[in-house]
Amino acid sequence: MSEVCRVAAERRGDVAILSTDGYINNQGGEEIARQAYSHLESGARALVLNLEKTRIVNSIGISILIEVLEKVMDRKGKLAFCGLTPTIDKTFRIMGLAQYAAIYPTESEAVRAVSSP
Amino acid sequence: MTDATPVSAPRLGQLWKTLEEPLQSPDRPLPARLAQAAVSWSGARGGTLYLREKDGWVRVAVAGVSELEGLDLPDPSSAVPVHRNGTLWVPLSAEGEIHGHLGLDGIGPEDSVELGAFLGFVLGGLLGAHRLSRLVKEADFEVRTRLVELESLYDLGLSLSGQLDIAALGDEVLFRSISLTDAGKGTLLLFHEDGRLLLERNLGGEFLPTQDLAAWNLPEGEAVINNAAATVPTAGVCLMSCQKCLVVPISVSGRRLGVLAVADKESRDGSVLDFTASNARILSLFANQAAAAIETARLHRAAIESERIEREMELAAAIQREILPHSLPEVSGVELAAANLPTRHVGGDYYDLFPLSRGRLGLLVADVSGKGVPAALLVSTVHAAVHLQIDEAKTVVDLVTRIDRHLRRYAATRKFLTLFFGLFEPDTGLLTYVSAGHNPALLVRGSGEIERLNSTGVPVGMFPGASWKEESVTLAPGDLLCVYTDGLTEAVNAAEEEYGLDRLSSFVGKGRAFPLRELCDRVLAAVADFAADMPQYDDQTLLLARRTENTGR
Repeated sequence: MSEVCRVAAERRGDVAILSTDGYINNQGGEEIARQAYSHLESGARALVLNLEKTRIVNSIGISILIEVLEKVMDRKGKLAFCGLTPTIDKTFRIMGLAQYAAIYPTESEAVRAVSSP
Repeated sequence: MTDATPVSAPRLGQLWKTLEEPLQSPDRPLPARLAQAAVSWSGARGGTLYLREKDGWVRVAVAGVSELEGLDLPDPSSAVPVHRNGTLWVPLSAEGEIHGHLGLDGIGPEDSVELGAFLGFVLGGLLGAHRLSRLVKEADFEVRTRLVELESLYDLGLSLSGQLDIAALGDEVLFRSISLTDAGKGTLLLFHEDGRLLLERNLGGEFLPTQDLAAWNLPEGEAVINNAAATVPTAGVCLMSCQKCLVVPISVSGRRLGVLAVADKESRDGSVLDFTASNARILSLFANQAAAAIETARLHRAAIESERIEREMELAAAIQREILPHSLPEVSGVELAAANLPTRHVGGDYYDLFPLSRGRLGLLVADVSGKGVPAALLVSTVHAAVHLQIDEAKTVVDLVTRIDRHLRRYAATRKFLTLFFGLFEPDTGLLTYVSAGHNPALLVRGSGEIERLNSTGVPVGMFPGASWKEESVTLAPGDLLCVYTDGLTEAVNAAEEEYGLDRLSSFVGKGRAFPLRELCDRVLAAVADFAADMPQYDDQTLLLARRTENTGR
C-alpha cells in the first residue's frame, strides 16, 4: 500500500470508477472528492469507488466520503463501493455510508448495479 | 422572533422566489447561497455573513460586488438591525438565539426596518435549522466514531487471537491505531529479548529510530503524548520528522516487547492537531491487546519449533536404530559385546561388525560431528561407504581412504567423523587398525596391563588428501579390546567433572574377567551412576572384543 493515496479514474458512459491505492485520509479523501466532483461536473451520474488497494481509512477520509455521497445524492445520482476490506466494510456500515451507498464485493457488480437500465 | 413590520405579499413572494433556487442548488454551501440570495433580493451592493461557530464569530460568506472584501462585524451582541456607515447589520435569529449577522452594503436607512425584519426572520430560521442539522450530524458522526472504536477493539481481539503471523499481526494493530487516531503516520517496533529488532512496520514514513528498547524511558503501561515532538525528545528519544506524537509501550508481565507510536494527527483543514487523552487511551488498549497476541504467537512459534526438533530427533534416532547391527555376529575365536545409548539429542555414533573371509572380523566404531538429522544422514552415508568398500579394500588404510573419498563425493554436508577400524584375525590374534582422530581404544591384557591404541591420523572427511597410518598389535587369548566414543568418557556429573579415560580404563581393567555382555552393561551403569541426574548430550557407544581360544572354523 502506498503512503500517498493515489486515485485512478475510468469512465464508462455515465459511470465514473475511481480506484484508490493507499490511506484514505485528508489527502486521499480530497483527491477522491476532486476527481469525483470533476466527473459529476462532466456529466457522470454514478460513481463507483473501488477501494481494493486501500487498507486504512480515517475519520477525516470518511467525512469527505460522506460529503461526496451527499453531493451525489443532491444530484439524484448513485454511489457504490467495492473491494472493501472487512474492517473498512464494517466501518462504512457503522458510519452510515452504507445507508445511502451500496457496497458490492467486486467492481463489475458495482458498475452493473449503478448503470442506467 | 424579530419584531416584524407588516410586509407586502408580493415582496414576500419575491423573497421566497429568490431563495428557492439557492436552497435547491447543491453547488455551494448553504450560508454562501443565502448571502447571495439576500444581496440580490435586497438590491444591496454586497453582503457579508458571519456565523457563530465554536470558537466565536466567523466570516463565512461574502457576496455581491467583487471589490467588497467583507465588512467587519461591529457588534455581535446586537439583537436588532442597526444601520452603520452605510451598511445595514441584521441579526439572524431563531427561537431567541442569534445564529448569524448579515451586513448589507449600500442599503439606505429608509429601507432598513422592513429589510431587517424580513431577513432576520427568514434567514435566521433557515440558518438555525441548518446549524441544528449540522450539530446533529456532527454529534451523530462522533457517536458513530466511538462505536467504530469499540467495534475495532472487539474485532482486534478476535482477529489477533487467531493470528500467529507476527508481521500480519503487526499490520493489523498498526493500521487500526493510525486509522482510529487520525494519525498521518505510525510505526510498530518489536524487539527480541536480547534487544535485536524483531519487526518494524511503518506507514506514512519513518519517524522512530529503530534502536534498542532500553533507550526508551517509557513508563510501564502508560502512553506518552508529546505535542512538541519536533523540538522536545519523547521519553528520552529524539524522534525524526514528526511534529506531534503518541507513543505507548507494548509489554507482557513487565517484559517490554516493543513500541507502538503514531504521529501527526490530521485535521480537515490540513493542520496538525494535538493528541488527546482519548487517543492515548485507545492506543494503550490496542497495545495491550497486541502484547497478548504477540506473546501468544511467540509461544506458538516456540512450540512449533520444539515439535519440529522433536520430530527431527525421532527421525534421526530411527535412522540410527536401523543402521546399528540388530545382532552381533558369531565369530570363532572372539567374544563380542556392544552397546549404544542414544541421548535425547541424537548424535552420530555408529558401530558395526563385519565377518570377513578366512574367519577375520572387521570392527568399526565411528562418531560423526554434529547432531540431529544431518549427523544421522552422515552416519547413513558412512554405513553405505563401509559396506560398499569393505570387500574391495586391500588394507585397513585403503578402506579408510576409500571411506574418506566416498564422503567427499557423496556426503550432503561438510562434516567429518572420527573412526576406529580394526581388522582382527582370531587365528593369530593380530589386530591391524587405523584410528582416524578417534579416542584411544584400550587394549586390556589378561594380566591387567592396559595399552592405549592412540590415533594414527586425522578425522575422516576433514582435510583433502589426508593419509593415515596403519598400526597392529597382537592379542593373546583373554586380551580385551575396548573401543568407545567420547559420550562415555566425556559424561559429566553435577560438579562438571568428566568421567574420563582413567576411570574407564580402571573400570574395564578390573572387570576384564567378566562375561563381556555383563561388563558392557556394568560400564554403562557406572557412567550413568557417575553422571547421576545430569542430562547427557552425546551418544554413548561401547564395543568390546575379547580373544578367546580359537575353537576352529
